Order: sequence, then structure tokens, then C-alpha cells
Amino acid sequence: MKPSPFEYRAPASVKEVLPLLGLESSVLAGGQSLVPMLNLRLAQPELVVDINGVAELDYIRADGGPLRIGAITRQVALERSELVRERWPLLHKAIRFVGHHQIRSRGTVGGSVAHADPAAELPAALIALGARLHLRSSGGVRALDASEFFLGPLYTAREPGELLVEVEVPKQPDGAGTGFAEHARTHGDFATAGAAAVVAPGGRAGIALLGAGPVPVRAEAAERALAGGAEPREVAALAAQDVDDEHRRALCTELAHRAIEEAMG
Amino acid sequence: MTGPFVGHPVLRREDERILRGRTRYLDDIEPPGAAHVAFVRSPFAHARIGGIDAPDGLAGVHTVITHGDLEGRVTDLPVQGFEGGRVTAEGHPVLAGDEVRYAGQPVAAVLAESRALAEDAAELIEVDYEPLDTVLDARRSEVTMSHWHKVAGDVEGAFESAAYVVRASHALPRLAPVPMEPRGAIASYDEADDMLTVWVSAQDSHRQLAGLAAVLDRPEESIRVIVPDVGGAFGSKGAPAPETMLVAAAAMATGRTVKWAEDREENFVASYQGRGMEADVELALDADGTMLGLRARIWADLGGYLMPTTAIPTHTTAMLMCGVYDIQVADVEIVGRRTNKVPTGPYRGAGRPEAAYFVECTVDVAARELGIDPLELRRRNFIRELPYETALGWTYDSGDYARCLDRAVELLEPERHSDEERVVGTGFGMYVERAGGLFETADAELLPDGRLLVRSGSSPHGQGHDTTFAQIAAERFGVGLDDVEFRFGDSKEVPRGVGTFASRSVAMGGSAVMQAVDALKEKCDAVSARLEPSVSLREIAENEPGLQASARFKSELVFSSGAYGAVVEIERATGRLRVVRVAAVDDAGTIINPLLAEGQVIGGTAQGLGECLVEEAVYDEEGNPTFASFVGYRLLTAAEMPPVVTAFVETPSPLNPLGAKGIGEGGAIGTPGAVANAVADALGGVRIDPPFSENKLWRALREAGA
Repeated sequence: MKPSPFEYRAPASVKEVLPLLGLESSVLAGGQSLVPMLNLRLAQPELVVDINGVAELDYIRADGGPLRIGAITRQVALERSELVRERWPLLHKAIRFVGHHQIRSRGTVGGSVAHADPAAELPAALIALGARLHLRSSGGVRALDASEFFLGPLYTAREPGELLVEVEVPKQPDGAGTGFAEHARTHGDFATAGAAAVVAPGGRAGIALLGAGPVPVRAEAAERALAGGAEPREVAALAAQDVDDEHRRALCTELAHRAIEEAMG
Repeated sequence: MTGPFVGHPVLRREDERILRGRTRYLDDIEPPGAAHVAFVRSPFAHARIGGIDAPDGLAGVHTVITHGDLEGRVTDLPVQGFEGGRVTAEGHPVLAGDEVRYAGQPVAAVLAESRALAEDAAELIEVDYEPLDTVLDARRSEVTMSHWHKVAGDVEGAFESAAYVVRASHALPRLAPVPMEPRGAIASYDEADDMLTVWVSAQDSHRQLAGLAAVLDRPEESIRVIVPDVGGAFGSKGAPAPETMLVAAAAMATGRTVKWAEDREENFVASYQGRGMEADVELALDADGTMLGLRARIWADLGGYLMPTTAIPTHTTAMLMCGVYDIQVADVEIVGRRTNKVPTGPYRGAGRPEAAYFVECTVDVAARELGIDPLELRRRNFIRELPYETALGWTYDSGDYARCLDRAVELLEPERHSDEERVVGTGFGMYVERAGGLFETADAELLPDGRLLVRSGSSPHGQGHDTTFAQIAAERFGVGLDDVEFRFGDSKEVPRGVGTFASRSVAMGGSAVMQAVDALKEKCDAVSARLEPSVSLREIAENEPGLQASARFKSELVFSSGAYGAVVEIERATGRLRVVRVAAVDDAGTIINPLLAEGQVIGGTAQGLGECLVEEAVYDEEGNPTFASFVGYRLLTAAEMPPVVTAFVETPSPLNPLGAKGIGEGGAIGTPGAVANAVADALGGVRIDPPFSENKLWRALREAGA
């Protein structure tokens, strides 16, 4: 469990980071996934670009508009943010299911998103919230909807030369409720499945599932049904209708139901 | 302060050192100039090895060792037999020859300037494997490596005359022991003195010593084994490891100090595992529920080779198949089969949890079929008169099974109900365990300052010997705990002992300490009689320097027992199991330290619950381990632990002066049967085997229509 040899760079700014990115380099943020993968030699990059010193990516701010979270922001900072707890409570609820306290104190928001584990909590919550992800490369900037970002397990729309720099979460409608539910076999373990829901007065909703397939999925049919006045039980069944395994489908239905009920208060 | 200490909840005196990080584990030992080992391990469950190609001139690499290099230097590991059974000579090779029989088996060893360089080089070694068919199911394996069969009484007659014959099949999965500290060894060879010194993370020094002497074919006097602080073992550091043998052989061959500190991945795939048994059990009963006879056929999935102690748990399981019941007619057979997995061996309980699970689940099936309350069925059949010789040939020395069960029922508060959201059920399981046996040793010495020094053949790896043994020694010697010092684990210093396993330390090692200290006390008393009655120990030491006494305590097996109960709740929508509470009642005879004894019970129960809820070493259909990290092999966390109410029933053993039996394994033995019976109760009689995953329970709930 010693990594294969690699070159290590720790630049202090995004500008210095970008030219180092490529097919043979890995970005080291909190290291909660990359470091075990290096030690198990599942990842053998030639270059590790440590962005922990890139202070410009460490922020949580809203200024009356959307929530903006810098990619290197520690998960624990999100968990402790009063702003997030009051105005984007779904993130506060979801983040508490990420690993254990020790993991959240090192793990970063951008790291969890960019790593794209299908059982991860933040990606599902961000999809439910309609978040946008900002990427930068030497060639410029672009933004993607969170629901377009995840392409497969540990596989995203991020190009090798791009760095995920910011997560932007739109303002939520007044009076919107949120709910998050998940099952893991033990406390802090990877989730077996989970559901995130945001429901605005009038029924406009964002619902996303994790552990239901290779990527976190937005349950659009369920969202439409809820907006159309369907009962939460029926909405939950729609959310999980494409899940393959019978038990997993039942589990996702139940968790979606709990999340929706919680969101509807 | 002097005694009494025995029976008091004295705080562990070793903890301050441990909590302050002043311990010295194997990997903390950093001999200057040591070569570090990384193993090339088989990626195939079964394959023929055509050849091994190690490129020359790898950076920082000292040497690469393969099977051929060891010819004439080592033998395969020895295989331990057992009474009344037979084992084949399929000892584990130090490094694989022309065949590998499990994924993870050591094929070559790289010695390099650092572990990282050794791992880099290990990746570059090319092994030509020709994959062969794999066998993963013990029932389907055609190779029997151990066998034991016993018939007692008129079995056919009992089954023919029975009003009921109940049949049930059960299986317990393979489990990884997962000690907090993985394995490891360091060896250094002094050619001038022809002395080999081996530091090894092990349960005790003398079994390692015997293994090294056998494999290296050296006299034991030419080997010194030092066991440093050990961060847990649960059985997995009892038998010597092939890797330890390689380290020793490499030190002798190269003249360098050689170090192997295992990592977690190696520990998962290459450390011997526990359980992996299944059984078909038949129980004959008369119309009022009296048990007339038992038939059992048991299959053990032993893995690719026999480690020295692989077959021992099979014997223990078979011998305990009549449980705590007065069944004098029995036909029990256990076959240990070769499979393409890492070998099994003793793991906390080591055969006893299997027997308790097979017997106690069958008793619940019988109760359901006969329409008798399961507690009542047990009470009707308990052994009441002890000592009791079982049909299978062991003599239970002491116990009060009915009292244990009554106490467990009282503590648990059984529940059985269901609503739209959940089903709740209660189950109980009894156990009886062999503990102790063989011998143990101690040397007691009066130091010049009047303090007592005891060298113990029995050594700790987390049990708290330094506290419990000190309680015994201080009380018998009439001094304070601080006046007693212990030495453990260095084969050059301590008298030859047996080891720390089979819940035997207090009954055997504790009794040896007591006898050695008593003998020394007698000598001191004789000196003080010659001087004056109020003379101090320091004055005695001054008048008669070097006073010492030794003891070697030997006894037959003692039999701990207990009753465990569990209340469980299963969520209908998801199948999620919650163990609501557990009652643990153990009879370990006289309890020396109730605090440490309860710690053992809770720790064992946590492992038993892990087995019920999440633990299972799963191999895929090609025999690849899917559990090489904590992502694939889960352990319970504090959050999953239910309240555990404990109590002790004390029926002292007549076989040792302390009246002690054993407490180290009861929780791991009693818990699975109790939880399984509670799950079946909640499911209205549908039985499944652990681990009780959401998926399995959700399907069982639908089957049960409960």
C-alpha cells in the first residue's frame, strides 16, 4: 500500500494549476478518495497537483444571489455554515451523511463532486437543487448543469485539462422545503441508496436519487407528477421506477418517499 | 494498598502507556539497515506457475526470493492433527512452488531498501500463470483435508422411535479477523553465535518458536522469539505465518535484518479467516419434546492449504454439537474440504460459534414444529448434573445452564409484535465452550527491593494480563498491585508456555501465576520465620537474595457456558435490521476482574453482531476476494451497537485453584444464534443465515408474508 512514484507539485493559484493538468495528472484536494486510490495503486498518475494551497478556491458566499462554493472548501465548512443551514438546508442535511467527521474535515466540496462516486451525497443534492458547476482550463471557462456533469462511476464531463473551480447553487424559492434520506450498511459507510428533495409551495420540485444507478439521477417524471398534484407515495414510486433490482427499487422508493415527505413538511 | 483484588473491577494498568502512545508495536521497531519485504501474491485463485522472471538491477532492490531459492532451507508449515480425526499433509508452502491455490498466496518476496521500493519492484516481476479450475464450495469440493466422525449410542433406534424428527440446514460465512494492527515480523541472524532473533506480532512466543524451528529445521535453542506490543489478533496471529518464515529464512540467507510489516490489503487477502462452515442437522424428539438423538453432517471450507491450526476449529465444532443438552445418542461427522480460498483457522470462538449456531437454530426449528415454547424446550433438555460426560467424549466440568437462561430472559424483556412499519421478534441462544486445557507456566522472583517479579509463559495481545495476573499475584503475595511486575513474550526470558487462545489465559496462566507466587510466598515465610515475624519483603530479599519459585499448571479442559438473548426489529419497506438490545449472561467460573470480563463480553458481542449484520468475506465466481479493503469488508461502528446488558453466573471450575473458566469468546459464540433466532421469530419462522442484509431480509419478509 505504497503509491507508485509520482511527481508532486503544489501551486498556489488557479493560474499556476491549469497548465499542469492533463491526462497524466491527478488533482489532490482533500485526498479522501485519491490518496487511498494511490496507495492501492488503482491510480498511478505521473503528476499529482496538490491544490490545498490554492486559497482563492476556499470560500462560501451568497451576497443575496446564488450560493457560491469554492472547490477547495472543506465539507465541514459547508456543514458549519449558518448561511447554508438557513438558506440551502438540503446541503446541510446531505453533508452530514458524508463519511465521518474526520473525513469531512479534510474532504472538499469540489473533490466529492469531481470524484463522482455514484453513492456520494453531494452530487445528488446538487442535482436536486439545480446547481451549476464551473470549470476552468487554460483555454477558458465553462459551466455545466450538475445533472449533465456525471457520466458514469468516477467519470464526469470534466476534460483532463479542466479544473472544477466553483459550485453555484441557485436561490431557492421562498418557502421551499427540503428532505434528504439514505441508507448505509454502517454509519458513515458508502450509501446503499439515498434521495434528495426540494419542494416549493405549489409543488415545483427537485428530486434526485443516489445509488440508484451508475450516476446520481434527476427524477424528472416524479418532479412533474408532484407538480401535478400526485401523492408523495406515487411520486416516490415514479422516482425509483427505472431502478433495476427489485429490492433496490423498493429501497429507493422508500427513501424518496421519506425525502419528499420531509420536504413537504 | 493490599488485597483483596480478585473479583474487583481494577482499571487496566497497561492503559496509560497505551493511551499515551508509549507502546512499541512491530512496525515501531526500526532496525538500522533493515531490508524491507514486499510479497508478489497470486492474482489467481488457482493456477500453475510456469516460471518467474525478475528483471535485474531494479532500483534499491537487494534480492528477489522465489520457491527455488528456498530449497533445502525451509519445509512447508507443519500441520497439527487432532484427537480421533485425520488430516492430510497439505501444509502451507512458504512460497508457492509450481501451483497457487488462492488469490493472495505469496509467490515471491522482494527485499529492498524500503517498503515502497519493494512494492515498485514487486509490480515488475513477471509470473507466468496458467489458470486452472477453481473450487469455491466445500460441498462440491472433491478433496477432503480433514475428517472426523463419531457415532455414540443407538442412533438409528433413536430416530426410528422418535415422535418427531426435525431437520434444518445452516451456514456461517467466512469472516476476516481484521485486527487493528496487521501482522508482521522482523528477523536478524547472528552468524557468529548461530542465533536467529525474530520479533513477531503474535499471540504468544512459543508457538512461533516451535513453527520456526520446524520449518527452518533448527534447534529451538538457536532461536529467540520476541513478541512486542500487539494490537489485536482474534486468533489470526496464533499459528505462525508463511510470511514470518520467509522473513526468517531471508535473514539467514542474506545476513541482513529483514522486516515485513503487513499492510491492510495483505491482511485481508492473506491472513487466515474464520467460520466458513455449513451443516445439515437432524434432531429426534419424543412427543413431549425430550431430545433423543442428534445427527449432523458438517462441511468446512478450509481453503487451499492446512495452516498449522486450520483443522482445530472443525474438531471443536463437532465435539460441541450436543450443546448444553442431555443427548446421549449422536452421529456427528465433519469434513474439511479444500477450496481455492485463503486457509481458515481459529477466529474468536474457533468452532464454538459454529456449533452453538447449528445447535441453537435447530432447537428453535424444533420448538416451532412441536409447538413448544423454545425456552421450555431448552429447559426440558438441559444437562442438570455436572460434571457430565457428553456422547461425543468431552466432560463438562461445571455449569448451570438453566440459571443462565433464566437470568438472560429476565434481563432481556422479550418482545414480539408487528405493525405496518416493522416486525419485532426475540430469540435466545445457549452456548457451551471448551476453554483452557494443556499447561501454562510462571516464574516468580523476589527482587532485591522486595518487589515481586513474575515471568509468565502466557502473554497478552489486548486481554489485560498485566492487570488480571497482577490482581492474582498481589493478592496471593499480600502486596499492592504496584509491587508486582510482569514480563511477557520474550522466549529467552519467560518460561515455556503454550499461548493465548481458547479463552485460556486466566484459567491456565492465572493458575500458574497463583501457584508460582504461592510457592515463593512459602519460601519467604520460611525465611521470615528464621528472622522475626514482622520482617519486610525487602529485608527477606537482603537476607536471602535470589528467592524464586516456578510453577507449571496443567489441567483438563474447562467449559464456560452462557445464554444470550436478542430483540430485533425489521423494517418492512427496506428490510433493514436493527438489533434493539442484547442480553449476555456468561458463566466463566470465578471472575477475577468484572470490568475486564465485561469488556471481553461486549467486544465479543460486537464481533458477533458484526457477523450478523455486515461481515462476510465474499469471493466472486472466479475466486477473487471482493473484500481487500474496508470498502468491501465492513465492520460495525459504535452507532450500530445496541445496548448490551451483561451478567455473570459463577459456577467455579473444580479443575483449577482459581475456579476460573474462560470469558474471551462468549460474546462471539452466543450472539449469532440468539440474533438468528430473533430474526426467524420476527419473520414468523422463515430462517435465513447471516449476514442479515437488507436485501435478504426484504425478500424473506415477502416470503413470510409476516
